[in-house]
Amino acid sequence: MSEYAIIGKRMPRVDSRAKVMGKTKFTADLNLPNMLVGKIKRSPHAHARIIHNDTTKAKAPPGVMSVVTGKDTAGVKWGVFAYTRDQQFIQTDKARYIGDEVAGVAAIDEETALKALDLIEVEYEILPPVFDPMEAMTMETELIHTEFPNNINIHVNIDTGQVDENFAKAHYIREDTFVAPEESYFQAEPYAVVARFDSEDCLEIWCPNGGPHMKSKPLSNAFKIPLHRVKVRKIAIGGAFGGRSEICPADYICALLAKKTGRPVKIKFTREENTIATRQGHAMITTHRTGVDQEGRVLARETTCYMDGGAYSSTGPIATSVPFLSMEQAYRMGSVRYNGYRIYTNKPIRGMIRVHGRGFAAGLDTQLDMIAAHLNIDPVEMRLKNSRQQGEYTSTKSFVASCAMDETIHKAVAKSGFSEKFGNLPPFHGIGMGTNSVQTGFPMGIRGGSQAFIKFNEDGEATVMSGVVDNGQGNDNMVVQIAAEELGLLPEDIHLVSADTETTASDPGSYSQVSTFVGGQAVKIAAQNCRAKLFDVAAKVLKVEPSTLAAKNRLIFVKDTPEICIPIKKVVRISLLNFTSVNAEGGYWPRVDMKREWVSNPYGQMCEAFSFGTTIVEVKVNPATGQVTVLNATAAQDVGYALNPLVLEGQFEGSIAMGGQGGMLTEYHEWKEGRCLNPTMLDYKLPLACDMPPIHSIMVESIDPKGPYGAKEAAMSIAMSAAQAYAAAVSNAIGVYMDSFPLTPDKILAAIKAKENKEPE
Amino acid sequence: MRLPRFEYLGPKTLEGALDLMATHRDDAKILAGGTDLLVRMKKGLIRPKTIISLKALDELAYIKRDTRENRNNILIGGRTLIADIIASDLVQRKAPALSRACERIGAITLQHFVGTLAGNILQDNRCWHYNQSQFHRSGRGACHKDGGKICYARQDSDRCNSTCQSDGATALMALNASITLQRKGGRRRVDLADFYTNDGIAPHAIESHELLTQICIPIQGGQSAYKRLSYRSAIDYPLVCAGVLLIPSTASPTEISEARIVVGAMGRSPLYMAAASASLGGKKLDDTDAFQKAGKAAMDTAATFAVHNVGSTLEYRYAMVAEMVFQALTEAGEAARETGQKAANKGVQ
Amino acid sequence: MDKIEISLTINETPYQMRVLPNDTLLEVLRNQLDLTGSKEGCDEGVCGSCTVHMDGKPVRACLTLALEARGRKIKTVEGLATGDALSDLQQSFIDHGAVQCGFCTPGMLMAGEALLSTTPGPDEQTIRRALSGNICRCTGYAKIVTAVAHAGNPQAPCPDCRTQTPYLQAKE
Repeated sequence: MSEYAIIGKRMPRVDSRAKVMGKTKFTADLNLPNMLVGKIKRSPHAHARIIHNDTTKAKAPPGVMSVVTGKDTAGVKWGVFAYTRDQQFIQTDKARYIGDEVAGVAAIDEETALKALDLIEVEYEILPPVFDPMEAMTMETELIHTEFPNNINIHVNIDTGQVDENFAKAHYIREDTFVAPEESYFQAEPYAVVARFDSEDCLEIWCPNGGPHMKSKPLSNAFKIPLHRVKVRKIAIGGAFGGRSEICPADYICALLAKKTGRPVKIKFTREENTIATRQGHAMITTHRTGVDQEGRVLARETTCYMDGGAYSSTGPIATSVPFLSMEQAYRMGSVRYNGYRIYTNKPIRGMIRVHGRGFAAGLDTQLDMIAAHLNIDPVEMRLKNSRQQGEYTSTKSFVASCAMDETIHKAVAKSGFSEKFGNLPPFHGIGMGTNSVQTGFPMGIRGGSQAFIKFNEDGEATVMSGVVDNGQGNDNMVVQIAAEELGLLPEDIHLVSADTETTASDPGSYSQVSTFVGGQAVKIAAQNCRAKLFDVAAKVLKVEPSTLAAKNRLIFVKDTPEICIPIKKVVRISLLNFTSVNAEGGYWPRVDMKREWVSNPYGQMCEAFSFGTTIVEVKVNPATGQVTVLNATAAQDVGYALNPLVLEGQFEGSIAMGGQGGMLTEYHEWKEGRCLNPTMLDYKLPLACDMPPIHSIMVESIDPKGPYGAKEAAMSIAMSAAQAYAAAVSNAIGVYMDSFPLTPDKILAAIKAKENKEPE
Repeated sequence: MRLPRFEYLGPKTLEGALDLMATHRDDAKILAGGTDLLVRMKKGLIRPKTIISLKALDELAYIKRDTRENRNNILIGGRTLIADIIASDLVQRKAPALSRACERIGAITLQHFVGTLAGNILQDNRCWHYNQSQFHRSGRGACHKDGGKICYARQDSDRCNSTCQSDGATALMALNASITLQRKGGRRRVDLADFYTNDGIAPHAIESHELLTQICIPIQGGQSAYKRLSYRSAIDYPLVCAGVLLIPSTASPTEISEARIVVGAMGRSPLYMAAASASLGGKKLDDTDAFQKAGKAAMDTAATFAVHNVGSTLEYRYAMVAEMVFQALTEAGEAARETGQKAANKGVQ
Repeated sequence: MDKIEISLTINETPYQMRVLPNDTLLEVLRNQLDLTGSKEGCDEGVCGSCTVHMDGKPVRACLTLALEARGRKIKTVEGLATGDALSDLQQSFIDHGAVQCGFCTPGMLMAGEALLSTTPGPDEQTIRRALSGNICRCTGYAKIVTAVAHAGNPQAPCPDCRTQTPYLQAKE
């Protein structure tokens, strides 16, 4: 039994009641008085110079309130980093992908807005487009961005030294190339934004976001207004998975239309717009060259990855790095060299996505299995020989303070019966495993920390103010759980004010897996500070030392003699009568290496904690159709400490669905000349309830020394290890190591046939 | 996506509906479940001036057996819901291929309670270059089906290569079904096999003032089966599907007297596989080898029709024609043998 | 094009309203009545987030003309609870952690309620089939399936069923 009253319990989420009643408001659900409908005009050409953009006719119909083009933007450009500032919110000179923003419209209703869109006359000069990253690097036609030679947007180079020397010492070397096309987020909620300028001329804006403070800063820059005049409001968010990390041009366009019209404006994306005009995952061509010693330990590795980045930088430097970082965290390597190239193409913009490179990750583990087979080592042993250990440094010099990778391997192996099954299953029945790791946080400079405030109300209940945002994963509940635990209250006594840039202090947002570790920690510290104030008052009343007190179930009591107690409500009232405030603040800043930078200096402490996970999957392949039935999935992850197993299980299960079932079996985009042929939920094959396997979740707790209650990132590495495990299981079932993902039935059937033809029985 | 504007007409009777159809002709479209029609309208693929809804025509919602004058047919009204067909014991027993096909249309909550079998039969052909938003289709020339002269699915093709992905049509054609097309002052009965035009732009031989009022499935004493393939077990349209009917010989009940093999989702129409069907005459109901050969023959025929426009790869879909046909034949063969066995046992008693 | 007056019942409340022929039921619910529980996820009938009951049967509100709801009884997610008292299924969704982002939840609930109204005590396969027309991107469906299986079902209590214990439970 843990010492905690609320932390570590299977607590149903505080936001779920409103959600099951249909009361929760998402952005598109907002109906503000006088609100206009906004629509965006997009380029139907993949690469085209904008010769002329005439809005005269579009402005004419009654009900059209405003039409804006690039001329209205003062040319402001967006980029996550100063060196990647390459995207205008509305293009003035050229369009770089089918879907690029060229104008915006606000009208009294949807029909009128759509009519106005059709009346905008944009004259283009078609430029030769390029859709293949390898071609893009060599082609002599007009660059997509003139300031980036060879269309290379980002080059991340990491080299620990000794790579060639260690390859020379290797007992066995393999080089394999793995490919995977782009995948999509398909958040349940299509993107939407509502904006208005309030009576004080402050911009008030609602939109799905990975961090409200990450939206307010670029908006403040773009409109050249102080940060305090940009009020990003809290709103329910229908999933993110990395795809809501940065500002969206629609945010700016919506705000601009609201400014021009003096009325609230709502822009609601179609499903197609959400697919092509927010972000997608990168397509990747990854070559891993690995040299091992006789025991299978990795002495040297060289990985080269070409990533199709689409038309703009987005989070490019991060996205180009994370696949490598996850690898170097999960596995020890004697030495390593990495070259990651993110290349511009005339396709939709690519950003970070939960799985961070399915071809990269699945390729790595596939190659490990190939090496293990060559050396006659079992896949479990192969991983245990190379798995990350606590107290080590990663190749890029991050200290690993907590790590139970081996325990996740052992537990997943035991639960799934891997050792008994591997090599002993009937034909077309296979089992495979994958292991991976993910960061708890990215280096984010002045925005790396979170600050929280807590105030007690006179009825003994508390309001918590935190910048933490809930994208659907349960962060609101996490904050409430922590505050209730520390304050000695019940979850229903906590009122949460969060994810609002007016009322909450800076917070790094949820997309670097850091909400609990940093945001939760800040709330914990604020609550402890607040509790200390209550204890001071209570100690005087109870005539004991504050250090002897504890708080639980709305009472403050003496730890050793709990019958000596006082209700918290009473303590609050006594405090107020004695001129003592009952509020507090707390902040947490992870101690990372501030000199670490994605491209210029990719070495030093990356973040304070890393999570580690293992997934094992058992499949049956139908040799006549190539279709895969997944019999079961077992996911074990070192989460540090499970703050709420009920919520974490849901994260594990969702990760299996996205990383494994969808990511490895069915999800990919089809294209024709830069047009996405499957932007809809009909044609992009997301997993369905009827196809999902039973999932066993195992939470391994290493108790991170810095994390709140020992917690760290939870479940994202499962999305990655699930991809690896699905790939390994299918390869095991058909006896062919697959190198092109996802493993759709056509590829599996072709591999089976090729094998049959090669070795006739 | 906003629906374009239209005039809505909701006739109370079949006669009223036929009157309205006669008046509005090409300007009107018929609304049954709306699964196909409303999505095409939202994407701006069609803009009918008038919508004539069948919602009130309960007289067209029925499943019954017609045994008058030595007839032996299942009659299904044109507005019968998918859910009712799945639930029908009669269809389940006498036309299992149709039952299976209906179960695989969309999903239970996806229009089974408003979608109709007639709507499924009349579902427009699909192509992933055509069934796209107006935005997607802008900035490039219009395709044949969209009023232009280009085919994005097959280079230099002078005609539309859209694909018929109707589950119901494939099963019904295998079952030798016919349909009744009614218009003001008249009706005609068409074999489903003759109903499909092999024209991707206008895939059905129906006049704009004709209403599909009834589907007639002859009960021929054989066994039918339906198999289809998609990446997911629900929602998806089929990538390949096959409906088969095996009628055992009365003289020697373990032998096939007549076989019908129909392959769907591989061409502009469901494809009746004449040669493959004929190859099974006189074969045993469990002749795996013959079933495999029939599958291969069907594959070879289908391969001349299919284009890469509904997903997966062409090579894979070709291969799966053989497999789906084989699976369907095996299932129908087994069912027929079981029925024969039971009948024989009864005879002995 | 003129608006047409229709009457229908939504969540047991009768409404008289004026709609255009090209208004979908989903647009009318969300824009005219501010019943925004039913969501627009794909707008072409696929994702299931807009599922409502029409005369007790699940239908896609995005593919239903408002005019075709004339005279019908419509139930939306807002009508599942009786006042503050949640339906068994709603409570089960909460207790079993079936809700994450919550966007697909209304459609899932309507699909689940439709199943339970015709098939009490459904087995897992039946539940998975019944929910196969509703897409969830967060949960992997496991907890949703459990929630439907355990809704108001004292036969199969699990540690998360509220009937068994209050909501705060120790880890194993």
